[in-house]
Amino acid sequence: MECVVQGIIETQHVEALEILLQGLCGVHKERLRIHEICLKSGPNLGVVASEVRLLCDLEQPESTWTVRHIGGAMRGAGAEQISVLVRTMVESKVSKNALRLFYALGYKLDHELLRVGFTFHFQRGAQITVTVSSVNKMLKLHATDEAVPVTPGIQLVEVTAPASAENYSEVVAAVSSFCEYLAPLLHLSKPGISTGVVPTAAAAAASLMSDGGGTPL
Amino acid sequence: MTLKWVLHWQPNAGSTVNSQILSEVSQCVESINGVKEGRWRATLTFYKPHTREQSMVAEFPRDFLGILLPEQPNKYYFIIRGQRIVLEADSSIQTLMEKLQSYKTRVALHFDGFQYQLGDFQLRVGKVVPTHSENLRGIVMEVEYVPISSVEKARQIMEEFLDIWQEAVSKRSLPGHFMHMEPNFAEYGLTDHYTSQHTAVQYATVMAQLIATVQAVQSVRN
Repeated sequence: MECVVQGIIETQHVEALEILLQGLCGVHKERLRIHEICLKSGPNLGVVASEVRLLCDLEQPESTWTVRHIGGAMRGAGAEQISVLVRTMVESKVSKNALRLFYALGYKLDHELLRVGFTFHFQRGAQITVTVSSVNKMLKLHATDEAVPVTPGIQLVEVTAPASAENYSEVVAAVSSFCEYLAPLLHLSKPGISTGVVPTAAAAAASLMSDGGGTPL
Repeated sequence: MTLKWVLHWQPNAGSTVNSQILSEVSQCVESINGVKEGRWRATLTFYKPHTREQSMVAEFPRDFLGILLPEQPNKYYFIIRGQRIVLEADSSIQTLMEKLQSYKTRVALHFDGFQYQLGDFQLRVGKVVPTHSENLRGIVMEVEYVPISSVEKARQIMEEFLDIWQEAVSKRSLPGHFMHMEPNFAEYGLTDHYTSQHTAVQYATVMAQLIATVQAVQSVRN
């Protein structure tokens, strides 16, 4: 299970966001370069269609692979009232052959992306990960060296935290509370509910940049 | 990861495997001074695709299987033998596959028995039984040579050990013998350095042999 919120920020304000996150998290950023291959089951496989994502971490000296399945979101009146999405998510590290295996099992390529940016991993009431990245598409199959931004000038910000059926309320609270600190620069909400950039972003960014990140929040 | 060979019991034409043979084989290990250490278990699962109609099943691999090895309790291995694919994954991959609902378990088998220490060798003798039955389907044996991890470098000493072992077994006049069929590891993208992926591939090969043996017996009966 995981808790997720997303938002967008203009590329020109990413540096300010990085300063803000550095101050909030107290850890160093890690560079991110992930080739994400999204597969869907072929027409005759399964009673319902299924999707699986293969993530290849290109930032490591030798690429490492993860398989991830994102399941349905929590539903009901309680779920609608919270501002964070809670959904099932299962992932597994795998050896190099994952793409060949899933093709052989009857999965087909739906789309692929290259995410380039950085992440912060830290503990603040929950194990939180903030990812800031540009989402890029490949002009030729698997050609990660020739990727172009899907939305030039805009980057995606994702805040996630692992959760379980027993503790998701605490994790939701931790994520919501953390997101409030980012409010001057961007608005974070459930994936699928887009709110656009925030009007205070430019001013907040200017303040962070001139401050140099020296003032603790 | 140290090297091992996985052997299977090949019954003579017209005979089948039974628990008496298993008992004799275990006694044979002890007769060459193998020291019994404890139990072991591996599990092999055959998967079949979920399809809306039975006729669609033929579009998908029939030999897709998953293996849980006792020396790697946090890992799971997938193999599609016909396409020479092996994948090592975290054991959470089983939950992931259940969530996808594209494949389900067709049949699962345990490889179950005792392990023995014999100098630099570790031996495991196991019966092959479906998970909810005591129906003996086969006998397997693992011969592990602890000091070496190279498939090629260990070959001679493994062959010498196997000669000693086969001679010890033949003295009991059992209706069959152990066979070692080494898969072409390179076809699976595996190197000379031995890993648990090599073990998983050997189990898949043994399974194919056991199935072929059962089918041969059935066709003779028919």
